[in-house]
Amino acid sequence: MLRSPIAVLTAFLIAALSGCGSDDSAFTDELGRCAEFDKQRQVYWGDTHVHTELSFDANLQGTRTTQEDAYDFARGVTIDLQPYDEDGVATRTATIDRPLHFVMVSDHAEFLSTIALCNDSSSPAYGADQCVDYRAAKEATTPEGVFSTFALINALTAVQQENVRYPALCGPGDEDCLQSGMDVWSQIVESAEAAYDRSDSCQLTTFPGYEWSGGPETKNLHRNVMFKDGNVTALPYSYFDEPYPEGLWARLKEECLDADNGCDVLAIPHNSNLSDGIFFENKMANGQPFTTEYAQTSHAIEPVIEIYQHKGASECLPGGTAPDELCGFEVLPFPDLAATNLENVGEPDPKGFLRFAYGEGMKLEDSLGVNPFQYGITAATDTHISASGFVAENDFKGHGGAGQPNRFLPAPEGFPDIEYLSPGGLTAVWAEENAREAIFSAFRRKETFGTSGPRIKVRMFGGWDYPSDLCNAAELERAAQGYAGGVPMGGTLPPRSGSAAPKLVVHAMQDSMGAPLQRIQIVKGWLEGQEHRVEVYDVAGNPDNGASVDMRTCERRGEGFGDLCTVWEDPAFDPSQRAYYYARVIEVPTCRWTTWQCVRAVYDCNDPVRQIDLDCCDPVAGLNVDWCESVDCRDPESLPPADARCCDPRLEPTIQERAWTSPIWYQPAP
Amino acid sequence: MLRTLLHFFLIGGVLFSAKTAFQRGEQAGPEITVRVRSDATPGEIEKEIREAILLNEVRRYGWDRTDPIVFDHLVRNMRFIEPESTDDDLRLYLRALQMGMHEHDPIVRARLLYRARQALESIPEDRMPSRADLQSHLESHPDRFEREGRVRMQHVFLSRSKRGAALATDAREMREKLSGLGERPPTGLGDPLPGLRAEQLVTASEIQNDYGAEPGRVVEEGIIGPWRGPVSSVYGLHFVRILSKEPAYVPSLDVIGAEVRADRLREIRKELREQRMAALRDAYTVRVVRAP
Repeated sequence: MLRSPIAVLTAFLIAALSGCGSDDSAFTDELGRCAEFDKQRQVYWGDTHVHTELSFDANLQGTRTTQEDAYDFARGVTIDLQPYDEDGVATRTATIDRPLHFVMVSDHAEFLSTIALCNDSSSPAYGADQCVDYRAAKEATTPEGVFSTFALINALTAVQQENVRYPALCGPGDEDCLQSGMDVWSQIVESAEAAYDRSDSCQLTTFPGYEWSGGPETKNLHRNVMFKDGNVTALPYSYFDEPYPEGLWARLKEECLDADNGCDVLAIPHNSNLSDGIFFENKMANGQPFTTEYAQTSHAIEPVIEIYQHKGASECLPGGTAPDELCGFEVLPFPDLAATNLENVGEPDPKGFLRFAYGEGMKLEDSLGVNPFQYGITAATDTHISASGFVAENDFKGHGGAGQPNRFLPAPEGFPDIEYLSPGGLTAVWAEENAREAIFSAFRRKETFGTSGPRIKVRMFGGWDYPSDLCNAAELERAAQGYAGGVPMGGTLPPRSGSAAPKLVVHAMQDSMGAPLQRIQIVKGWLEGQEHRVEVYDVAGNPDNGASVDMRTCERRGEGFGDLCTVWEDPAFDPSQRAYYYARVIEVPTCRWTTWQCVRAVYDCNDPVRQIDLDCCDPVAGLNVDWCESVDCRDPESLPPADARCCDPRLEPTIQERAWTSPIWYQPAP
Repeated sequence: MLRTLLHFFLIGGVLFSAKTAFQRGEQAGPEITVRVRSDATPGEIEKEIREAILLNEVRRYGWDRTDPIVFDHLVRNMRFIEPESTDDDLRLYLRALQMGMHEHDPIVRARLLYRARQALESIPEDRMPSRADLQSHLESHPDRFEREGRVRMQHVFLSRSKRGAALATDAREMREKLSGLGERPPTGLGDPLPGLRAEQLVTASEIQNDYGAEPGRVVEEGIIGPWRGPVSSVYGLHFVRILSKEPAYVPSLDVIGAEVRADRLREIRKELREQRMAALRDAYTVRVVRAP
């Protein structure tokens, strides 16, 4: 579909720009260059889903922060946030509580060139109607003035695949956008290079990348494309270039993976929860079921998936085939992207969730010999304000994107985002050091886990012969035994020895700045014939430890666990059945971000119908007596619109933050 | 390249007044009158002056009449106030100019200031930093590129979850054991945690992020030799022994060239913005009128 040149090595461009000389090894990054190198691997935290002013949706919602700002934010620098006043001064700021180790900024590929061309008065597209509309929307002073243009232009990412086209402003043959897209792409690669710490301190690792944002009829199929280093493809291939995932993969193979030039890349699917159930559909672009080649390509290029982010969790839905009381965590009540944008509440489709994909993947492996959905786990923010890894529930400022833009002054009262959305999560990897080669390799082998925000550390190994007292071994020794006698999270169990059942050793520790742990669960899924079965086991901790939250203050009550460790053996193992096992580490309950904001506004939602606690009317408590007497949560009409949302019965007042490990798979002998 | 040339052109335009004024020496530059509130502070007055200068510059070079955003905006304004008009866009635009709408509309003002500020910080080719410039920049600002010092330390941990009520007693016993170790490593002592190493090279910040403020403080103090602790964290109790310290350092340009270049470019943009603004400020004669 596209007639762009073959792969280019931007190394030369960047080296030339850097003024520091150039050679072919500009991007080489061998293992062992960091002072802190650990053969048995350490945990590194990152965010691989970050948008800046270069993303069309972020740009129109008033985000002015850049890719450089996103990297600065990850390092701990305070950045500006919209809305900006008439003098261009930001009225809000944000700061992360701890630096991140790695970041991929993933601006939407679709309109990189649109923004550049429409803001460049020398470009031939500058006077095009879409550019005029875009600039008018950028200057608009009301949400309505923005939304119509956003909807019209962004809708190009939602047309059916067979009708996909570049915006008309791109000119004959789309050449203006192709050229401009390459320019912006080279700047993106350059800024990732400038932010990458090449000293042996290895403080921040950056990966050039972008988001392929295809969503036919707004059914989300988005993927983030992550390059190992500055050796990248000619273009950031978008939905306009390649409207099917396999088209994107073909580009990545042709220009990167198969180009024998050192390029390496992977793609990270996300928000299958908003795909209206089509994300894992067994259907290729030609309408036919998957072939083995398709499954192999998917397996190779997409080793991990985002299980959680700002726009909800994609793990599982409540009420599935197996009882899983914790499936209701941050499930969005929307089936697709448009419903999210417009806040049209509707039922998501269970076929858009990872639990379904894991079952389907095993079935497909039976028939194709390859599991196309053998995903490891990541999580991210999907921030649209350059706030990489900004996950604090008690300091949430809204991430935008499909949520509330916060562009206009005065800043709206009430929640800074759609109340169903959330601050999002983080990805952690087990890697030898904080450098590109090591971190990227961890993604490749799926030695990754995702969290809903807190830095809960978890390590899991699976094997056949681990001793039952492995939790008592020193960590270094345990890791050595873990690798030698089995596989880490993300791996496939080696052939079975004897008649043993698999043993999993799982050790988790709470976030040093967060809440204690409540328990560790093992989620086991297996194929019984062609039926996908799931069982959830509590394997460590105590779900009934009585920990709770004071809803007046959001202070935690009761205890939990600083760390939990167990060696668990599958009690119902059948060696003839395909299976997977992943760990879910659960914190004690804490306030959701909406509750933090309501509590700060002196609301009390500690009631089944979210009635304001009448105690708040007690003058001794010093609270707002007049306000308490004037409102009734059962009657939203009595509340100002911004306040009524605090009483929304659909909002969970507390959550149990968590970590999800990549699964360990078992394949029966053929 | 086209954009680079355009930037040159724009900058040339903005700076034309300043250069001309300087070259003419004693001849006066442009004169403007700035109206401010009677209670305006000196800072507010200076801000008004600078914006008035920039707006005067862009208007002198006709940007208010050629910028498509301004054009679109004024046409929309005119269609709003003259909804029955059948005039085409150009006629409406010209009428808006005749009415002076471009001089008072806040969006036009914001757009023109934006373009002027962009032009002010545009970097010409001859200001792009060379390797020597970058080396000098690195040497002049080591604080910006400094890496945190590290310690090589031994670490023994006792888990509160595992030991419960025995934690304090176990800690006392552990302290005695550690005291008796001498220079020997604490092999096999204490409880494991994911990623915890009996000996590792780390920064104080990393220890603080991983285990909390108290362990971080002990590492930051950096006392070499004795076992310190127990210090408390959310996980339990920690004993720390620092074996050696590596001071903070600044990496070489060969290693962090791209990082230095990005920092220098930010600085050049700021310098240019300030220099060019100062040149314009000097070139202008400004009369300030305080309005009641």
